[in-house]
Amino acid sequence: MSRQIIPYAFIAPAMLLLLAFGVLPIAVALLVSLTDLDLAGLGDWAGAGYVGLDNYRSLLADSAFWQAMANTGVYTVLGVPAVVVTSLAVALLLNRSEGRFFRALRAFYFVPAVTAIVAVSLVWGYLYNTQFGLLNHLLGVAGLPPVRWLTDPALVKPSVAVVAVWRGTALNIIIFLAALKAIPREYLEAAALDGASELRRITSIVLPLLRFAIVFVTVTTVIAWLQIFDEPYVLTKGGPLGASTSVSLFLYQQGFSSGRFGYAGAGTLVLFLVIAAVTLLQVRARRLDAS
Amino acid sequence: MRADSRATTAVVGAVLGVGALITAFPFFWMVSGSVKPRSEATGHPPGLLPHEPTPEYFAQLFGRLDFAAHLLNTCVLVLIGMAGVVITAMAGYGFAKFRFRGRGPLFFLVLATMMVPVQATMIPTYLLLNGVRLTDTLLGAALPTLVSGFSVFLFRQFISTVPTEMIEAARVDGAGEARIFCRIVLPVCRPIMAVQLVLAFIGSWNSLLWPLIIADDQRHYPLSVGVSLLNRQIATNPSLQMAGATLMVVPVLIVFVFFQRSIVRGFTLSGLR
Amino acid sequence: MSRLRTVLIAVMSLVVLTACSGAGDGSSRELTVWIMGDSSDRFQELVEPFSARTRIRVETVAVPWDSIDQKFTTAVASGKGPDVLQIGLSKLRAYTRSGALLDLAGPTLKGHPGLAARGFVDRTALSGGHASSVPWSSDTRVLFYRSDILAAAGITEPPRTWEQVRADAKVLTARDGGGYGFFIPQWDSALPVIMTWSMGGDIVDAHRRIDFGDPAFRRAVDLYTGLYADGSVPADGDFDQVQGFVSGATPMLVSGPYLAGAISEAAPELAGRWAVAPIPGDVTHTSLLSGSHLGVWRTGHDRDAALRLLDFLSEPRTQLAWYRLDGQLPAVRSALDEVRHAAGPQAAVYAGQLSEARPLPQVPDWDSRTGKALLDALNSIVLTGADPGTALRELSAATRGTSAS
Repeated sequence: MSRQIIPYAFIAPAMLLLLAFGVLPIAVALLVSLTDLDLAGLGDWAGAGYVGLDNYRSLLADSAFWQAMANTGVYTVLGVPAVVVTSLAVALLLNRSEGRFFRALRAFYFVPAVTAIVAVSLVWGYLYNTQFGLLNHLLGVAGLPPVRWLTDPALVKPSVAVVAVWRGTALNIIIFLAALKAIPREYLEAAALDGASELRRITSIVLPLLRFAIVFVTVTTVIAWLQIFDEPYVLTKGGPLGASTSVSLFLYQQGFSSGRFGYAGAGTLVLFLVIAAVTLLQVRARRLDAS
Repeated sequence: MRADSRATTAVVGAVLGVGALITAFPFFWMVSGSVKPRSEATGHPPGLLPHEPTPEYFAQLFGRLDFAAHLLNTCVLVLIGMAGVVITAMAGYGFAKFRFRGRGPLFFLVLATMMVPVQATMIPTYLLLNGVRLTDTLLGAALPTLVSGFSVFLFRQFISTVPTEMIEAARVDGAGEARIFCRIVLPVCRPIMAVQLVLAFIGSWNSLLWPLIIADDQRHYPLSVGVSLLNRQIATNPSLQMAGATLMVVPVLIVFVFFQRSIVRGFTLSGLR
Repeated sequence: MSRLRTVLIAVMSLVVLTACSGAGDGSSRELTVWIMGDSSDRFQELVEPFSARTRIRVETVAVPWDSIDQKFTTAVASGKGPDVLQIGLSKLRAYTRSGALLDLAGPTLKGHPGLAARGFVDRTALSGGHASSVPWSSDTRVLFYRSDILAAAGITEPPRTWEQVRADAKVLTARDGGGYGFFIPQWDSALPVIMTWSMGGDIVDAHRRIDFGDPAFRRAVDLYTGLYADGSVPADGDFDQVQGFVSGATPMLVSGPYLAGAISEAAPELAGRWAVAPIPGDVTHTSLLSGSHLGVWRTGHDRDAALRLLDFLSEPRTQLAWYRLDGQLPAVRSALDEVRHAAGPQAAVYAGQLSEARPLPQVPDWDSRTGKALLDALNSIVLTGADPGTALRELSAATRGTSAS
């Protein structure tokens, strides 16, 4: 085997799959976004016509799209810091001890990640229900008026975000725990001998060493939240009055429910570019930060 | 000093315990809901524990679903998912330890796939799978999500911390590339492997969209799709759905509890400390 | 590594095995049918006599309600669909326009007299230039009421007009122990249309285009928003109608036969304390005609067999058998008449209501466009206090000219 082709042989299977199922679709979306492809055109491609940038023009003039963009922004701003801080804090605390109790607790914190989305919608829908839900029952016991968690246009985004945070922390706790385990114990022991307090050890040794993990978790979490779909889809279907519709959900509704594939394609491309731009900005900011 | 630290650990343990209970509360609610008779499920105020637990809904579940067939399909999906982890590890190794023409742009493509909205990929992916005649196969259902940019990135990151000298030494000893990968790289990757295997397991166990779209035949539905059939359009039976969801979650939890030991052990064996 | 190889080989062989097992023998005739939800086992039972008689095997595939759009869209994209599929009425026009369904107009149905339009409850179904489906099951909306709670509040008869509904709802809301009088599901775009019909109007103009300018529609809006203004209906969008009815929080509501099943299942002890009545109305008592249709995939491999199956499924006998198996009301007139006379008082109300029911306008996309615009307008008035004049002007502007053939 020639030496040059060895690396290609290693990456080829994964690359092929990623190109086919990750890169190709965005190219297809780009092409489709320039047409008026609908359900009929999907069966017979000759039926779809070239419309230039019309889809982009009407997208940018569509108030529902902008509402979805704004909602997605709110989700991201609310959710990302919550996910990163919570999972880091829980990981730091869980890492304090290797005892049986602490290890058993990990499973509890991991439960949200493995709970099927059907169960998420049922259980949280029940917790949040205005009339019969547990949260309002507890508020009632405390003598407080009921809250319309999922049906008040102002409250629905935070309520949905809480569920997404609940689901999102589990995996990141594992990533942070893995990163924490990789920190040589000697560093911490040496600092402890020098009389550094626990808080100080965390802020001046652990957190700097976790820098990479924090950046990684932040970047991937931002990407995930800009694509948030499951939680608003199963909890509210985007309501009330579009107040919880995310961009991904908007695109799904336009594409699969309404059959406007050209329009959805244009939206897909815009969302992709937004995610790419936000990610690049973050990576660049970290680099400046480091130098 | 020691007693002080032990007290702090106890406090931390208590805080974590409360947090864990809150985090897992929806799970407990689901399990308790799955054995509540219908009258209790819709009762008000909500009861935390069922007064008269009933196995009725689990019986219904097994009666209505072709359980064995669904489970077999799910297991095949999980096995394919595990094979995907090996492919991902290979790619991570290739990007971490080789310099080759096009490495930068190719890795950029890997990262770019993470940013593609999932809803956009469905129709092109289906046409592609149909083109290569993989519809109505479980392989076709597993392929679209087999490799993710996220996992390749994690593997590359992890493998780049492995000392290159280990690999070079083996090469000098005349070991073939495949042998180096299997005997040196994979064992060192154990901790990240454990994480990835758990992720792959959860992903394939819960995967719903592709198995459903790809299957032309109900016999090829995995458990996840079978359970989602119980979801009626408007009138739902919460207890039955809770039973279905419980049935889906419990095996995953068992796998996690089992694997989390090997995650921990993996770290001690990896020689990274 | 050898262990890994063993696993890989095992995986591959399993995959190949599973892929092959689906191939079938190919010699006998076989039809694939997509049925929604979890009734595929019952459907299989229903078609057994058909298979025995014709030696055509029927393979039923259950498709979850939530996923039908993805499943249909990908099937259209690849051209590979089932032979016969169940279609919800709200999707009918979009699916017809996709061109994936066989045109059942004119000569195609010759030799299948059971599929003639006159036999069905919905006579409009097979008329027009592009009929692509035959009715399969019927669904409608009636008034559900808790007779015990109404009687306790001094109401002896269920309301017959919307005026009475509003008055009774006020009385019920004022009763001791709290609660409401009526329930409006915020996701139900059919209710305001039903209200418009029963006020003697329509939301489609003489040119078969959507028009929300009818005075009857304005009266329906006043009724809809008035119920909220009275405080007679809960304002929470996530209010559970089964729980609301069973607990007595909302002792009156408008819903379909499926709700009766859910109530009996959730609260069997409530039997005899609730009943159903025809839709209230000021001018007519017109309710919604919905349900599902069956379509034939245009490029299916055995068109003749598919049409014979449709023929079988439209036989009154089969329709009655389906009502007994699955509780779905027949779409065939003679079968429905039989249900009306033989199946108990509740079924008689449904069947009677079906003789005075009509489908929603067949617009390109009712659920996510026209109907959604209607709900958004009404809900913005009652939930966020939007100005009715502005909201309705916006509704008209957003939907004007939508063709409703």
